[in-house]
Amino acid sequence: MNIGSGSDKGSRRKNLDAELNLVPFIDLLSMCICFLLMTAVWIEVGAVQVKQSRGTEAPATKANQLDLTVKFTAPSVIEFTLKKQGKLINRELLKAESIPLLLEKLDQSLSKVDVKNVASGLVTPKTGVSYGDLVSVMDMLRKHQIINLGVVPTGAI
Amino acid sequence: MSISNREILAPGSFSRHLVSRKRKSATRKKLLIAGLSLTSMVDMFSLLVIFLLQAFSTSPELLAIGKGVTLPAARTGQEIKDAPVLAISEEEVYLDQKLVGKTSVLLKHPAPLMHHLAQLRELWQKTHPTETFPGEINLQAHKELSSAIVAQFMAMLPSQSYGSIQLAVVAGGT
Repeated sequence: MNIGSGSDKGSRRKNLDAELNLVPFIDLLSMCICFLLMTAVWIEVGAVQVKQSRGTEAPATKANQLDLTVKFTAPSVIEFTLKKQGKLINRELLKAESIPLLLEKLDQSLSKVDVKNVASGLVTPKTGVSYGDLVSVMDMLRKHQIINLGVVPTGAI
Repeated sequence: MSISNREILAPGSFSRHLVSRKRKSATRKKLLIAGLSLTSMVDMFSLLVIFLLQAFSTSPELLAIGKGVTLPAARTGQEIKDAPVLAISEEEVYLDQKLVGKTSVLLKHPAPLMHHLAQLRELWQKTHPTETFPGEINLQAHKELSSAIVAQFMAMLPSQSYGSIQLAVVAGGT
């Protein structure tokens, strides 16, 4: 049935339904996907914020605020100290065979502390302790909501 | 002139069998041809492209990890801010991807690093005359580097008003 022309000539006309050539379109899209996948950054980089105490003004502390210090005395030994207005409240020496075990012990010690009153956490590094281990300790402190962190510089190289 | 199979081949049961097998195989091949639906494939590709573009456009790469630097992992890593990048490897120190000097030399004589940091601060103050300097700096250090060395570099930064140090870490690591 020829509806459009109404005459015999219309049937001779070419079919107007053109087919879109999808092959180059697929090629282009495949290339786009490959490019995006290859140029994508898969490692998510974050940041651990540190406020350096030396050279900047120390923040005013309240009466009931606690100061926490974590000092590396050896590669897998930590001295954990808690002070209130300069007075010693708690001191623990944490020893372990490896850093993950040491972090577990630190986690246990920190869980006993009332973190709401902790004003700052200072970490003292040591020669022989890697930067990665230092960051792991700071990460543990941040896990316990001790956000105001500082690193105490040491003279040893 | 067309020559049929019957004319070429001598009459015989085997030749007839061959011709019939050929015809049968031809019909079988025709049956195996299936049309590939390209429309759904194009749809899928388009969706993939849109998803990838959206996923990677929302998280711009602020930090280019320097050569010889493997970042430590941390679970509590925050979103990184746009600030100058100080990269410390075992051998060299880079500030915004420009070589400042050797690590061991800069620890003893930090003047070139101080000079570069002061330049960056002055440049920021010129471009932001009405704002106060935030003192933010991103620090990238190799995870196997001694923590004492990194701490010494960190201690140098506040003297040039860089008091807020962001240690670059691989987020979500163990």
